[in-house]
Amino acid sequence: MAGMQIAGSLSSPPDGAAVIDPVYRQIRDLVYKVSGMYKSEEKLYLLVGGCERRMKQVGTKSPRGYWEHLTAHPSRDGELRQLLNELTIGETCFFRSQPQLDAVRKVILPELAADKTRQITRRIRIWSAGCSTGEETYTLAMNMLEESTALLKGWTVEILATDLNDRSIEAANTAIYGDYALRCTPEYFKRKYFSVVDDKKLQVRPEVKKLVSFSRLNFQDDSRMLFMKSMDLVFCCNVLIYFDGPSKSKVIDHFFTNLNYGGYFFLGTSESLLNLNDKFHLVHFPGAIAHWKPSLGGGKP
Amino acid sequence: METVPRWWQAMTSSLAPSTVNHIRERVKQIETLPTIPAVFLPLLNLLNLPIDQVKLEEVVKLVSYDNTIAAQCLRMASSPLFGLARAPESIKSAVISLGLRKVETILLTCCMGNVFSVKDWTIDPTNYWRHSLGCAMVCRKFSEKLAASDGDKAYIAGLLHDIGFLVNCMTFSKEFAAAMEHASTQQVPLEEAELATMGFCHCDTGLALAQKWRLADDMLQAIAYHHHPERSHSAQPLVALVHLSDLLCRMRNLGYGYYERRRVDLAHDPAWAILANEYQALEQMDLARFSFELDEAVGEIAALVDIIFGTSHKE
Repeated sequence: MAGMQIAGSLSSPPDGAAVIDPVYRQIRDLVYKVSGMYKSEEKLYLLVGGCERRMKQVGTKSPRGYWEHLTAHPSRDGELRQLLNELTIGETCFFRSQPQLDAVRKVILPELAADKTRQITRRIRIWSAGCSTGEETYTLAMNMLEESTALLKGWTVEILATDLNDRSIEAANTAIYGDYALRCTPEYFKRKYFSVVDDKKLQVRPEVKKLVSFSRLNFQDDSRMLFMKSMDLVFCCNVLIYFDGPSKSKVIDHFFTNLNYGGYFFLGTSESLLNLNDKFHLVHFPGAIAHWKPSLGGGKP
Repeated sequence: METVPRWWQAMTSSLAPSTVNHIRERVKQIETLPTIPAVFLPLLNLLNLPIDQVKLEEVVKLVSYDNTIAAQCLRMASSPLFGLARAPESIKSAVISLGLRKVETILLTCCMGNVFSVKDWTIDPTNYWRHSLGCAMVCRKFSEKLAASDGDKAYIAGLLHDIGFLVNCMTFSKEFAAAMEHASTQQVPLEEAELATMGFCHCDTGLALAQKWRLADDMLQAIAYHHHPERSHSAQPLVALVHLSDLLCRMRNLGYGYYERRRVDLAHDPAWAILANEYQALEQMDLARFSFELDEAVGEIAALVDIIFGTSHKE
């Protein structure tokens, strides 16, 4: 009984979610195998919800029937893409992953700041790859500003943010957000880095925007990908899930090249590289996983 | 002085003489540690026997001495982590559904919660049990991924690996409190803080208890060397497995309740090489997915800790 209570408080699944058709676990495994996105047992109800919405669209009533759509139907690739869309709806928000931010501020920045060769340039470059409407990008910028009077005093921080979608970039530049995007934002940050537009909306302040430049970029555009050089950190959340194996592998190789030695590549919190690249080291921080490009010599930074 | 055991001398040989004297005085107190409950050691011995030599009746008889343990065991068997949809009615039916080995490990887990009547918990008991039980689960799961034969032994090694913290609470409580404080304010690993402030760590005190209990050699190795598997004299793959599982738990919300400011590179840890040498399956392991799967178990482990250890640490 205690088990049910705790599981409930962690994820608030809808009533009656205890019995889940085993086919959904098959779908979960398929989604993982194809995209690298893992829906854990406690988030399985989200996957069930997403599947049910798609089942209505394609006109099938049973999970087994939907499984056929995903695996045997001629339009299976397209359907899988639609399902991935369903699964990532509304995921974007400010401060989505505090453990990732902690890893950056508590472990990685001190590491970079202590690196003697970097002390000459005193510059940190971050790439928010697939930035969507800018929530992740500005979250990073605010956290860097927090460090600018301490650990990063006298350092230059550059944040490059790219997305394929022009409208997303436009929205990111406007930088006006509502409650939903701000649902995880601590009050401290709201007060310090946003100005009030009206009673429902806040706008990111100019000093934060100054750190960031947005532009359009297609990851498949090899020549432009090569241009994104000397990054210390790359964030790419819920974007690679849409790529097939070979394209994903190629983009990951690009990210590896784009990073400085000793740099880090972050995916979404439950996203995996699926062992597609053996040059990166998968490293753990408390509550977060990242992919590390080994320092020259291969040892610790 | 003559009564100081040889293992203690070996263990403390790298320390300054004054520190050694100080510790020697305290060692005498280890002699007053609680004795292990009657059921625990026979159960552990059964686990070391080949499965065809273990009689179901013996296990049932052992457990019947202690109703609390039997009741806890049945509740634990019905947890999703062990895969039964509802609680079995008796130990016998639990064995039929889960298998003898699994039930033995469940029983040992329940025993652990009743071993210690620690009065002054320097360490948060909930964190302690969550970490130990979590590590036990991860050890077993890890073994399964590697197709290693003895997942149950790995489970027990995981369950017992940090037992030295309990010894610290009982015999070095002031010193250990300072070490805990140091660890959480500096955000460093607890073993590092122990060495910095006390000059020895839970691996040393855990070994002392394990020797007193005459545990099998592979358990001694896991307890003494889980932070340095490469130094263990035997059972290196088991010790390496415990080491990696311990680190993974600490990185996935089953640590000691404070932020450890560190980066862990499991696949490039010496322990990984030790395991890779033993098990080919390690090469194919999807470490990211393994971590996500561990996250799923965190809530369940918390619930189990409430069931099994809830009453003992409220005393």
